[in-house]
Amino acid sequence: MRQLLRRLNFFFRRGRFERDLEEELRYHVDRLAEEQADQGASRRQFGSVARVREESRRMWTTTVGEQLAQDIRYGVRALAANPLFTAMAILSLALGIGANTAIYSFLDGILLRDLPVARPAELVVLNWRAADHPKVIHRLSGSQYRDGKHGVASPNYPYAFYQDLQKAQNSLSALFAYAPAWELNIVTRYRADVAEGELVSGGFFRGLGVVPAAGRLILDEDDRPGAPPVAVLSYKYWRSRYPAGVDAVGQSIRINHVPVTVVGVAPPGFFGVNPSTSPAVYLPLRAAPVFSPKPADDEQSKFVARDSYWVEMMGRLSPGVSLEQAQVELAGRFQQYVKSTISSPKEKENLPALWLQRGAGGLDSLRRQYSEPLYILMAMVGLILALACANIANLLLARATARRREMAIRLSLGASRGRVIGQLLTESVMLSLAGAALGLLVALWGIRSITWLLSNGQEDFTLHASLSWPVLAFAFALALATGVLFGLAPALRATGVDLTSGLKETKAGSSGRQARHFGLGQALLTAQVAVSLVLVVAAGLFVRTLSNLHSVDLGFNRENILIFYMNARQSGYEGPALAKVYGDLLDRFARVPGVRGASLSKSPLAIGSWNSTEVTIPGAPPVEGRRDTCVEPVDASFLATLQIPMLGGRDFDQHDMQSPRVAIVSEEFVKKFFPKENPLGRRIGIGGNKTADIEIVGISRTTRYNSIKETETPPVVYVPYTGDLDDLGRSGVFFELRTAGDPFLALNTVRQIVRQQDASIAISYTNTLAAQIDLTIGKERTFAQLCTCFAVLALIIACVGLYGTISYTVARRTSEIGIRMALGAERRRILWMVLREMFSIAGVGLAIGLGAAWGATRFVESFLFGLKHNDPAVLAFSVVVLAGAALAAGYAPARRASRVDPMAALRHE
Amino acid sequence: METRPDIPSGTLYMLILKTLARRGALHGYGITQHIRQSSNDVLQVDEGSLYPALQRMLIRGWVRDEWKISENNRRARYYSLTPEGRKQLAREVRQFDHVMSAISRVIQEV
Repeated sequence: MRQLLRRLNFFFRRGRFERDLEEELRYHVDRLAEEQADQGASRRQFGSVARVREESRRMWTTTVGEQLAQDIRYGVRALAANPLFTAMAILSLALGIGANTAIYSFLDGILLRDLPVARPAELVVLNWRAADHPKVIHRLSGSQYRDGKHGVASPNYPYAFYQDLQKAQNSLSALFAYAPAWELNIVTRYRADVAEGELVSGGFFRGLGVVPAAGRLILDEDDRPGAPPVAVLSYKYWRSRYPAGVDAVGQSIRINHVPVTVVGVAPPGFFGVNPSTSPAVYLPLRAAPVFSPKPADDEQSKFVARDSYWVEMMGRLSPGVSLEQAQVELAGRFQQYVKSTISSPKEKENLPALWLQRGAGGLDSLRRQYSEPLYILMAMVGLILALACANIANLLLARATARRREMAIRLSLGASRGRVIGQLLTESVMLSLAGAALGLLVALWGIRSITWLLSNGQEDFTLHASLSWPVLAFAFALALATGVLFGLAPALRATGVDLTSGLKETKAGSSGRQARHFGLGQALLTAQVAVSLVLVVAAGLFVRTLSNLHSVDLGFNRENILIFYMNARQSGYEGPALAKVYGDLLDRFARVPGVRGASLSKSPLAIGSWNSTEVTIPGAPPVEGRRDTCVEPVDASFLATLQIPMLGGRDFDQHDMQSPRVAIVSEEFVKKFFPKENPLGRRIGIGGNKTADIEIVGISRTTRYNSIKETETPPVVYVPYTGDLDDLGRSGVFFELRTAGDPFLALNTVRQIVRQQDASIAISYTNTLAAQIDLTIGKERTFAQLCTCFAVLALIIACVGLYGTISYTVARRTSEIGIRMALGAERRRILWMVLREMFSIAGVGLAIGLGAAWGATRFVESFLFGLKHNDPAVLAFSVVVLAGAALAAGYAPARRASRVDPMAALRHE
Repeated sequence: METRPDIPSGTLYMLILKTLARRGALHGYGITQHIRQSSNDVLQVDEGSLYPALQRMLIRGWVRDEWKISENNRRARYYSLTPEGRKQLAREVRQFDHVMSAISRVIQEV
């Protein structure tokens, strides 16, 4: 050890060493010269100065640098002698390392990244939890999600509680509130468009510790009733919507038809507190009623109603206060608040309880959405890395066994044991290094493709991962450890051999020691086959899920339809004017060349929207599910444009749009509510306890309503869109244009028409209906694609392992096979003998894998559609695929064995 | 002087170590001088072996080096024994005695 340190010291102070040696030798020569007057004689006596210098230097260097160089040279030669194995080992390692790094980089991006704000670790998010939806909450707008064992959870609070907390001295040094402003119609001097906005309290930016890129951010004086409306633009929105060099600060823009002054621009990279959104504009919270399409009184009441939950809150812990202390204090205050709002004994049960969450990473909606699929993918790539490592282990084991003779020769020729082990380790490390280098490329490519897959072509996809170096380092360390461990163990054993027996041992080598080596290799192979089967089964399940989804009959024709969203209410149209502007636009769209039909509806079908209400049916007994009837406001040509067949009665006509007390109901609706009667001509009411004044005039075929995946299609009622224009003003509408060819060809004309109608109206969410529906099964598609990739990867890796091991066995047994053949064994028997070994490995692996797949696929059941997790067809198919792959991998070496020339094999000894 | 015998292989380290043990710190030239004189000009250390050997002994930690002013007022590299070197010397001498007595027994038998 000390020798090594001294050598290292030499290495770093080479220059000094050279000078010292030079001076020392000169001194010696001079002394000799002094001693003997004759200069020439002394030179001769000394010999070559250069040679002495060289020799002295080599004392230091040979054992470090040159030995390593020699090992590497030898290693390259040894690896190059087996190009197929080397390539496959490196490739499987690269794929394993790369896939893991890519997936973990995403997890890192989603689960671990901090918000780009000051001291994110101090931030906390205020949530509440309850066993079930609490009755004391009369209105909740925002999100409420199932929180595993705790029941339901939500981040929404009454504004009054936010004010209470703000007034009180508490364990938070800053507290701020925010709420989504949803889609806003924004008209700048340059263009009109629809973008997401965020309502924020005056303390929002200050609390987060964010510095503006230009102007100022929203302050307390902006966040009070009656303050002049101001807005802060996101950096991205400013850069993309304003010409370069134009200052947005001080300019006036119109948001939802209200003039607003831009006071500042948020810093680049700032996206608010939710990593899954990126608001284009931030508005003061108290200005919400100004921008809302709802009646202003209704909106104002949200600020005083003590039972309406809608604002979200974050805070910053005061110095020295722990999360637990803050939780105790805030939960107490919330409990008091909630108790003060109880209005009936029934509401006393199941009160919501405040629950503080760390907020360094922002809100966790993104995590909830993606973490489950990512964990599944993570498990899969973990298995792949295990496969790759098993392959390396197998390869090294097989090589070590085959090289026992070589080791024995080298040892007997005087190589030190350390030297031989060092040589073997060098090879392992070289394999790992090469695998890691290639793995880096795979990871970079993988991150790009997974981003592309997850985003599904969404333009404003916010989830971006960057290469996680710690993960890459970890995967590499794992691969290196495998290489060293499985390279070292056989190396130690091989170098510990008794030389004579090692030399005597022939290639046929049937000694007990080898059988034991091979036992470990066999176990590894069996495990590989089992793991591969699990991955192939998973891929099979997801592929079948995808094909089931694609073959679902939607009940309408999704091809060649252009859809886009619009809300003219945000440009100032109300009531009859709103109906008229939509009607005018529909007329003009229908006349566009190439457009065969134009219609509008509150939302297109099967893209994930849900619009349910209660229907009143006079005289009918209450039926389960009546609350879940879906109401879809449409125009007269909707059913015709989507090609939904009528089963009875008549379709809507223009007259119905003028006097909208009519409805068309779906087949499902009839089945549920009029199982024995003719519904035509009957009257129903829409909404709870409404007078039944809407006449059913037609029956349409059932279609998928909410999504392709819905297992139960809800009853649907189509009504004229002119019936409730206030509601339509709040939600906006989607237009559907059926075209003759590529739907996007009509888009330019559509934009022109809208601009001519009113330049302040913006359209958004332009897409084809088919593509939009595909987005709803994006997760399934991504899964199917990634899993198929992983399964193919696993198959390749397992086959490489099988092929490699069987090949080695055959090579080692060449002379044994030769003897057998010389003694009269048939080629077919030899072929079978080798294949039998392979099948016994594969058979055990398949049996174990089948059991594992049966259990493991339970976890992905929620991602499947139209089949069970233990679908027999998928299981059978996977077994056949794997057995086939194993046969393919084992056949080549088996055939080679059967072609052994007995004479050549025997002479080989 | 023409047919000077080579130093028996394996004994060079021992000779250097012994020289340093007896004379304290010495430079390379001094070592060759001392070995020559104390062997009555029989043993002549070849510089081509001396300096590599000294380097190797530095690596092994048997000697340490130090730059000092020599007897003729020049800078010279002085080598001196380390405790490790002293132990090594004892080991080599013991082994040498062992081998020598064996050899002389063989020779005397004849």
